Amino acid sequence: MDPNPTRLDDLMLNDRGFVFDPNTGESYQLSTTGLACLRSLQHGTTAAGVLAGILEAQEVDPLTARWDLDAFFWEIKQLGWL
Amino acid sequence: MNKQPYVAPTIRRVSQATANPQRLGRTPVMEAIDGVPVAGLLGEHGGPLFVFSEAALRAKIRDARRAFAAVYPKTTFAWSYKTNYLNAICRVFHQEGSLAEVVSGFEYEKARANGVPGYRIIFNGPHKTAGELRRAVEEGAMIQVDNRDEVLALAKLADELDREIRLGIRVHVDTGTHAVWSKFGFCAEDGEALRMIEWMTENTRLRVRGVHCHVGTFMLDAGAYATAADAVVRLALAAAEAGCGTVEYLNLGGGFASRARLHGQYLPPEQATPGFDDYARELCGTIKRLWPEGRDLPELLLETGRALVDEAGYLLTKVVAVKQRMLAGGCPALAAYGKGGSNGTLAAYGKGGPVSGAGGNRRNAVVLDAGIQILYTTAWYQPSVYPAAAPAAGMQPTTVYGCLCMNIDVIREEAALPEMNVGDAVVIHPVGAYNITQSMQFISYRPAVVMIDPAGRVHLIRRREVLEDVCGPEQVPEYLAETGEIAEEARVSVT
Ligand SMILES: Cc1ncc(COP(=O)(O)O)c(C=O)c1O
Repeated sequence: MDPNPTRLDDLMLNDRGFVFDPNTGESYQLSTTGLACLRSLQHGTTAAGVLAGILEAQEVDPLTARWDLDAFFWEIKQLGWL
Repeated sequence: MNKQPYVAPTIRRVSQATANPQRLGRTPVMEAIDGVPVAGLLGEHGGPLFVFSEAALRAKIRDARRAFAAVYPKTTFAWSYKTNYLNAICRVFHQEGSLAEVVSGFEYEKARANGVPGYRIIFNGPHKTAGELRRAVEEGAMIQVDNRDEVLALAKLADELDREIRLGIRVHVDTGTHAVWSKFGFCAEDGEALRMIEWMTENTRLRVRGVHCHVGTFMLDAGAYATAADAVVRLALAAAEAGCGTVEYLNLGGGFASRARLHGQYLPPEQATPGFDDYARELCGTIKRLWPEGRDLPELLLETGRALVDEAGYLLTKVVAVKQRMLAGGCPALAAYGKGGSNGTLAAYGKGGPVSGAGGNRRNAVVLDAGIQILYTTAWYQPSVYPAAAPAAGMQPTTVYGCLCMNIDVIREEAALPEMNVGDAVVIHPVGAYNITQSMQFISYRPAVVMIDPAGRVHLIRRREVLEDVCGPEQVPEYLAETGEIAEEARVSVT
């Protein structure tokens, strides 16, 4: 088994935030921000960079954004994508 | 640079159920009520806030009157106080010509204080004290007698006052569509009610001039009223035949359904709920068919409650917390395909699969600043929950929790809502029937109520409760009057 699977690259995303995980056959729906985050990660952006991107583009205080993003990372880690 | 409104990063597993975007339909946004912006109402009066539309109240009662007048001109509506006895609401109905229908001494007093003379009050209910009965008799109220003991008390009163008392008799009928409300009155179908009328005529100075039957509430089958009317008319005619005099009015109670949606109701209210015309046709058609030709038709009284007030009432409330709710049972879609959704099975395929139950198998949830203590009807209904502003993102199945520290405080298990943020306002509708009168002072103050008049002016009709409203009736025994210092031995060390 690949000791360091780059599962993020396997994911199929469309512009509406629909994700298909070919490894499990499961589908997911991302919010617009969730989609932007996942795409950034696929392009190699760091977690801090993703957070900075949200803070720059959206009307939100840093702590709220940090909370939500950490929760999002936690969820996709559970899915084995990180 | 102008920043965009915030949308949290989220991920949800798409199950077979949620994969169909049509399933959630389109939830319209409710930005204003009768042209008054929701944001402005909350800004001025704070929240949560009940809002009533006077125009909607008047439109409903006029529609009901029109429907019945078209087939049965001798119809009179009586406002069912318990459905909503805010004085302003009652007065709208009284202005529209409605009598008052009350079921307790308290409601009787309220109706009198609203300027309703006794002879325009229908006095119902299984518990009327001797004092209340005396007042009602002296003021000429239409008493609907419920039980043996009330008959006996009224008979005594008639003797004391040395006069006849005219009254209505409450009966119950099995309409086959609903639990029979046999708690109330006498059975119309097995001869009991007729025997009671005869007994009163022979043995007392009570004169039965009305027959009352409230078949139940939220009757989605208009045909139930044909069954009830049939039994009530036959009883009235049998009583006349037996020499008990003429029944002058038939009172068919309330029970017409509002445009709310019951739990488990498949069809939407627009399709399932009969209109006033349907109820009028069934009910009045039956009376006219059975009533002997040449004899004056009896008056028809109706005590319609929820169908007149439910849709006129809204609750404005705000999101105070946004949550992700773990859904039980791991991933049903995977389980269905024998995949169990567990680590183990997927690991067997070398995929090191997801942690069971986590990762997207969650549902959006919001906590509102109002709970089921002021939304009693959520026990039966699924009210609509509308965002008060245009959504920034698409609809998601969302659990709507109330603010109580109680697990049962769920307003909607699954409503279609966009991603919500703390501070977003939502409008819950319809909530005009029973929620105000059955609301509990529990955990938080009961909210203010405003009414929007037909000119769009907003009137406060009940202020928000304050501590004094709750504690005012309380008394503290003298020996507990001093709170003082907490006794040394009662201090708990937390270090
Ligand atoms: C005697 C009587 N009349 C009228 C009503 C009003 O019923 P609804 O709100 O269903 O029209 C009730 C409600 O239970 C009732 O008991």
